[in-house]
Amino acid sequence: MTPLPSTAGDLPVLLPFRVSRTRARFTLGPVRAWLLGAWLAGLVLVMPALAQGPDAVLSPLQVILRWAPLLLTGFAFNVAISLVAMLLGTGAGVGLGLALVSEGPILRRVAWGLTQFFRNVPWLVLLFFVMFLVPFQVTVFGLRVPLPDWIKATVGFALPVMANVAEIVRGAVRSVPATQWEAAESLAFTRRQTLFRIILPQCLKRMLPPWMNVYALIAMATVQASIVGVTEMLTLTAQVHAAEGGRPELFAPLYGFALLCFFLYCYPIDRLTARLERRFETA
Amino acid sequence: MDAVPNWFRGLYETTGYNFTVFYDPYDWDRYVNGLKTTLLLAVTTILASIVIGAVGALLQGGPSRFLRGLVNGFVVVFCNTPPLVQIFFFYFGLGTLLPATQTADGLRVPLLDNVQWAIVALALFAGAFNVEIFRSGIEAVPRTTVEAAESLGYTRLKAYLYVVLPLALRVCLPALNNNLINLLKTTTLAYAIAVPETLYAVKQIWSESQNVLEMMIVLLATYAVLVGVLVWLMHRWERALRIPGYSR
Amino acid sequence: MRKPTSTFLGAGLLAAATVLSASLATAADGLEAIKQRGTLIVGVKADYRPFGFRDPSGAIIGLEPDLAADVAKRLGVKLELVPVVSSNRIEFLQQGKVDLLIATLSDKPERRRVVQAIDPQYYSDFVNVMLPKKAGITDWAQLKGKPLCATSGAWYNKDVARTYGAEIVAFDGSEKPLFALKQGNCLGYVYDQSMLQGKLLDADWKADYGLPLKGILDAPWMMAVALGNGALQGLLETTTKEWMKSGFIVEEEKKWGIEPTEYSKAMHEKYKNATN
Repeated sequence: MTPLPSTAGDLPVLLPFRVSRTRARFTLGPVRAWLLGAWLAGLVLVMPALAQGPDAVLSPLQVILRWAPLLLTGFAFNVAISLVAMLLGTGAGVGLGLALVSEGPILRRVAWGLTQFFRNVPWLVLLFFVMFLVPFQVTVFGLRVPLPDWIKATVGFALPVMANVAEIVRGAVRSVPATQWEAAESLAFTRRQTLFRIILPQCLKRMLPPWMNVYALIAMATVQASIVGVTEMLTLTAQVHAAEGGRPELFAPLYGFALLCFFLYCYPIDRLTARLERRFETA
Repeated sequence: MDAVPNWFRGLYETTGYNFTVFYDPYDWDRYVNGLKTTLLLAVTTILASIVIGAVGALLQGGPSRFLRGLVNGFVVVFCNTPPLVQIFFFYFGLGTLLPATQTADGLRVPLLDNVQWAIVALALFAGAFNVEIFRSGIEAVPRTTVEAAESLGYTRLKAYLYVVLPLALRVCLPALNNNLINLLKTTTLAYAIAVPETLYAVKQIWSESQNVLEMMIVLLATYAVLVGVLVWLMHRWERALRIPGYSR
Repeated sequence: MRKPTSTFLGAGLLAAATVLSASLATAADGLEAIKQRGTLIVGVKADYRPFGFRDPSGAIIGLEPDLAADVAKRLGVKLELVPVVSSNRIEFLQQGKVDLLIATLSDKPERRRVVQAIDPQYYSDFVNVMLPKKAGITDWAQLKGKPLCATSGAWYNKDVARTYGAEIVAFDGSEKPLFALKQGNCLGYVYDQSMLQGKLLDADWKADYGLPLKGILDAPWMMAVALGNGALQGLLETTTKEWMKSGFIVEEEKKWGIEPTEYSKAMHEKYKNATN
């Protein structure tokens, strides 16, 4: 981080602050990340293996290898839910964010209320809310559209995404210097034209790292869908465990495998976000 | 004070809106105990995670390469894996593998019960994020200030405690507060290991009395208030620690 | 957003949802709809041996799936079994995911308010606690202040906690409580007596655990359909009486290895010689 040029004779008490990503001397490149992952995998698989009794049927490693294809399809489902939730949430969030910076006071207040509500309520509670209170089917133009569990869960995840994206949009729009607005006004742009043609394109770059951060959080949050009964990776893990006779020493390897999958998916996203943040740094 | 329960009982009889939590003392007790447990979880994990963050950030700037690698590994793993799976891993996975004591009758007594495991898992999860946040705050303290402290005879630890950390804390306070608010929201995940916190208590009530809509309203309102109070407290703290002339 | 884009997006999403759901059957539309669909969707337990549990191939088998198969046979339609747990079975029925619920559902007045019960009830069971033999518990009063694992959503959790002062530690489903029990996080597992009897048939549990206490809170189990489903209700009532008459349920109990309960035997006696 480069300090601001100091005025003559003054020592800066504090340098400009920004929560930037890991830039420690020991950065974990992709290869090292996978090695760390493999080491962790070995740890969680070997540890219980050392605690095996003499009449163990299948070692934990064999169990994982046997069920890995099924568990990975479950993981793919988690990723799919996160992508759809992100899509829906971003769309709604951009709209809500624009409402947050609008001129109409009522619209702004309503938008602010909605944003605060969906940001302050825990994600698991929102998930329960959508699962229990949204009906199992809706009738649109006389056509009955059933809403299966996973769609409801996706909507349940899209709600906090919407609120977070709205905040990101608001922050980004406000961070564009007022001079841009003034220049646009002097060129006779309407507010809407200014917003869409001048301000938002400048915001896109600065919105990207926090937006990717929200995606990483959502991708990790999709496992909560198992609590409300959606068949995703964690549910499958429990079923695999039951199918393997429910041996207690298999818990650590199976959950360790789930941790590993998420780690190998989310860590590259984290690194990419860090790189983008550095590239888009304006200071 | 019978007016409130009676009103709710009347509401149930006339409109069918069943707010058992307000007129049934057993449900009310469960709900209040749930709130107390949520507050317990929130306070202990917030304090523990701040300590973990401060200690981790200290070790990250230290000379020992091994410790730096360890802290980095810890941060990288805990920030990039789902907290729910971490909780399950700790409670069901490690809980079985760790040694256990035995009661007089020979029954197995695990080392940590579910509330304690929840605190451990949540504190480590939030602590990992706090390490990042504290480290960014520490980086905002100029080298010159640290050198000045060194020249005044502070040891590395004392300089960290008395000079660097207070400045870093004030600087990274908004990000830290954001993380702590998220921590309060994350305490709901302890539901999955049967920790009797608010979500758990409310779910038990609605499972038994079949009043999902009413209890859901109570639950949403409860968390809106809890988080709102925490946000307000954090804003007060930020204002109290504000450095004049530094930020808006 | 420009208007054409958002309407296009909305229409696209709607079309996608419709296409995706085209193959999904909707339940709870009454008897005619079931016959038209050609499948009877029944909610059963998949983790409650011997009433509903999985065999190695993943299919759900047990006493209640057999009852469901008999109903489907009488209707002349195929059978589809949907696994449910205590905390979501009533919601599944209300939401129409299943036509019929035969899922160890105890008869309770709050439940009768939200679903249509089928009388006479097809089964009855007690509540009991699986305790380790080493604990030396011989009376319900000794459970005061002790943690008991339970399944979330069971109606008797509250009663056991209130009457005997035990601390209920409730998990979703019936697998996690058993793990918590094995780990020592609770003293025992309070659940339906028949399920615990089934569990104790397993070698794992037979050695160290038992049912030292007497069963309490005798409660009949009921089948359920969604409210307002008169035709299906009528058919199921007749079916139940025929089961009692022929002793079908008593046979099923013997088939799945549980001791026929007093209730089943009594109902068989009562209806054996009835003419209606």
